[in-house]
Amino acid sequence: MDERTPEKQPENDFKGIYKNVKISVKTLDIVIVGGILLMIALVLFGIANNGYTVSFDSRGGTDVAAQTDLMYGDHVAEPEPPTREGYTFAGWYHDENCQYPFDFDNTIVDASATLYADWEKIQD
Amino acid sequence: MSNNANVLLRMEGITKEFPGVKALDGVNLTVKAGTVHALMGENGAGKSTLMKCLFGVYQKNAGHIYLEGKEVNFKNSKEALENGVAMVHQELNQAMSRNVMDNMWLGRFPKTGPFTSEKKMYDATMEVFEELGVKVNPKTIMSSMPVSQRQMVEIAKAVSYKSKIIVFDEPTSSLTETEVDHLFTIINMLRDRGCGIIYISHKMAEIKRISDEITIMRDGKWIATEKAADLEMNDIIRLMVGRELTNQFPPKTNTPGETYLKVEGLTGMYNQLKDVSFEAKRGEILGLAGLDASGRTEVLESIFGIRTRKSGTITLGGKPCRNRNSTESIKNGFAMLTEERRATGIFGIRSIRDNTVISSLHRHKKWGPLLSEKSQREDTQRYIDAMRTKTPSQETQIRSLSGGNQQKVIIGRWLLTEPEVLLLDEPTRGIDVGAKYEIYQLIGNLANEGKTVLMVSSEMPELLGVCDRILVMSGGRLAGEVDAKTTTQEEIMTLAAKFA
Amino acid sequence: MSELKVKKPSKIDQLKAMSPKDRNRAIGDLLMNNAMFIIIAIAIVGIAIAEPSFVSVPSIVNIISLTAAKLPIALGVGGCIILAGTDISAGRQVGLAACIAAGLQLTTNKLFPGLGVMPWYVALLAVCAVGAVIGFVNGFCMAKFKLHPFIVTLSTQLIVYGCILLFLKLGTNSGQTLSGMSQTYQDLIKGTLFRVGNTAVPNYVLYSAIITAIVWVIWNKTTFGKNMYAVGSNEEAANVSGVNVVKTIILVFMMAGVLYAITGFMDASRISSVNATTGLNYEADAIAACVIGGISFVGGIGKVSGAIIGVLLLQIIFTGLTYLSVDQNLLFIVKGVIILVACAIDMRKYLVRK
Repeated sequence: MDERTPEKQPENDFKGIYKNVKISVKTLDIVIVGGILLMIALVLFGIANNGYTVSFDSRGGTDVAAQTDLMYGDHVAEPEPPTREGYTFAGWYHDENCQYPFDFDNTIVDASATLYADWEKIQD
Repeated sequence: MSNNANVLLRMEGITKEFPGVKALDGVNLTVKAGTVHALMGENGAGKSTLMKCLFGVYQKNAGHIYLEGKEVNFKNSKEALENGVAMVHQELNQAMSRNVMDNMWLGRFPKTGPFTSEKKMYDATMEVFEELGVKVNPKTIMSSMPVSQRQMVEIAKAVSYKSKIIVFDEPTSSLTETEVDHLFTIINMLRDRGCGIIYISHKMAEIKRISDEITIMRDGKWIATEKAADLEMNDIIRLMVGRELTNQFPPKTNTPGETYLKVEGLTGMYNQLKDVSFEAKRGEILGLAGLDASGRTEVLESIFGIRTRKSGTITLGGKPCRNRNSTESIKNGFAMLTEERRATGIFGIRSIRDNTVISSLHRHKKWGPLLSEKSQREDTQRYIDAMRTKTPSQETQIRSLSGGNQQKVIIGRWLLTEPEVLLLDEPTRGIDVGAKYEIYQLIGNLANEGKTVLMVSSEMPELLGVCDRILVMSGGRLAGEVDAKTTTQEEIMTLAAKFA
Repeated sequence: MSELKVKKPSKIDQLKAMSPKDRNRAIGDLLMNNAMFIIIAIAIVGIAIAEPSFVSVPSIVNIISLTAAKLPIALGVGGCIILAGTDISAGRQVGLAACIAAGLQLTTNKLFPGLGVMPWYVALLAVCAVGAVIGFVNGFCMAKFKLHPFIVTLSTQLIVYGCILLFLKLGTNSGQTLSGMSQTYQDLIKGTLFRVGNTAVPNYVLYSAIITAIVWVIWNKTTFGKNMYAVGSNEEAANVSGVNVVKTIILVFMMAGVLYAITGFMDASRISSVNATTGLNYEADAIAACVIGGISFVGGIGKVSGAIIGVLLLQIIFTGLTYLSVDQNLLFIVKGVIILVACAIDMRKYLVRK
């Protein structure tokens, strides 16, 4: 180029992901403030609808009602055991493989969760 | 042929300032209908800046532009285009993966209802092409066509906008002779239809052939506007160059020694560079002159290995150097200051220290692979002091320095690699006058120490003032070699136009 | 551009010296550029008031442990971001490493029947090797084919996920969760380093600290680190300056791969059960942490300390929101918004005013 421009236009200063960004600071400010307000709104919504839900997957047995509105640090109340024909109920577990039993007395709630029922076949 | 009442475009007293530099200073340009008006000047004379002010790429600081008697002030080139002012660029700006008609009608596709109409587009394109005698299928993909045809599309686009003023910026730089003939036929046709053509070129022969009037610019100022028939080639060169060498260069003290660097048959793989051979001595400052795109930069970059060579050998003091990449070249004792400082020189957001030591990190290894912070700091400080770089601290981001100080940091980076051959591409571009003098001194000192310096510059006085010998490039070939003490700018300009 | 420069001690004097308009703008810049920190600080105070147990010793130890667990992956992603790239295959790579580590440490191995428990260092070397190979593929595609980092790592993400699923189908496992890893392995990672009151600090906090120190040395004290910053800030200039750009890019991604592998190795033991969803969305947390910590998408900017701060702040805020019993489904949305806002702030800092 036959320019006498002492400095090239600063657009070339950086590359990176913002290479082709053409946005005004004002628009960005709106995005930032808007995003933060959205975040606050979401959190407030989350607190208002507070509580976790622990549901019970009885896996073939009679339905067990989910427990809602549990707060952080609450304990899950042990429900009436479900029943299933030909099986005996063998407790609630964290996982589907029934390797980690759920301890109703010593476990505090810190997230919504699903518990799985374990069944033992009745030997005739 | 021309008629005074028939003025299409009048630019009066156009002034444009960039921080620290007046790029345009009260320039006048008057283009009449039905004429080809050549705009001439050296690199940096302000031709492109003037056109950018016309098209609204830059906002002028003062002056008026009248189009057919009405004052206009375009905000961007699209607005200019809609008002009948078009430009055929030096570097074509096209959507390469789209076809011809898409490019022609981009942004204003003909429609049937809410849908774009391929058929209307095709017909309209064919109409313009027939008018211009262009034989191109409108459905051809851009990238599959040669430059000359793509340029025709650009011209056709300008015509389809019913443009009254068409600016050609170096239109023939990549055309063959027959293609140039065709282009001139079209330009003549446009002239006969009453268009005003502004033709920017370095090539004397073309200018004499095509233009009716010539405006010559120098250092951002208007110098003369004459009828083309009244000017001889020598007059044009005299008017373009016409300045006195003042005391802007330090006295020369270096004495070239024995032959050191030998370059033979340098030919580029992906560029026009063809069979360039030359020798340079120890302690010599060898200049490379030429027009833009004449291959000056390519010579340096090919030697340094950041451009692929097709053939050619480089020997340094009898030892062949392969220089396949920059790491190897640095090891062989080469250093390269690139032309585009911001794009390929500085690491803008890194500190001055990081910018200084990046090419010589091996010097700072202390325990195994670990680098010593202390020796990095010492090296950086040594070169800040030696170059008199003005900076608040070593931790300052380099982009906050002025152009001259950035250049000093980068030169310091290269000196730390202890080079024998320095390849300097436009070492004083974008640097204020005081810093330029310091850079000249530095180059002189390097030559005094017995280093070989190759220096490309667009500013001819600079080459004449600093170098011992000057190689003149033209169209990718070496057009000749002159002695800087006895030559004149006129001689260099004539050589530079040899293969252009 | 002045806000980018090193802050002088007389910041307040500078503000006083400005015209009211400039001063308002400078204050506005300061508030906006630090908006994320301000919001997080307010949130922490709010949560601490609402749930005092949030600032108890067990809670703090928990936050620090989780931060340590996520730090190596953030450092890996951080290196990629410094190259002006990114890595969205990080989470899946952690998952694959966790699966392999668990697979070699099972007491009853359903994947490789008959294979006993391998020594832990064999498992560690194996996962690191796998991580390095994936990193090499990422880096090679980026450096040689000049593909966009998003595209490359999106592909590797899918490829790695496929590998995880196939790996879990080996032997008689048929895709089930892996659990029941050897005691040595469990102790190595989860064993008690020391106790604060009654709360045990696990060993992996120490490992994470060591890894962080090593990464700091690599980033700041070696040629490779300097080259990484150089390539990130201006690839062309780096090429001219004698930096082997291709090698640097590949090495950064290989290093990232190894860091993900280490994260996976620690995670398998830390969570004690590994399945195909292990590592899911880890990269989102890591990228968010890096951007919050000032590792910019501009490239060439970022510090190890930034990654630590980013991971810590994110961990604090999400642990805090758990204390407020906010549903974790909602937290995903919050996390996404945090990344967007952090990017907008990052962009605002480095945007050139026209």
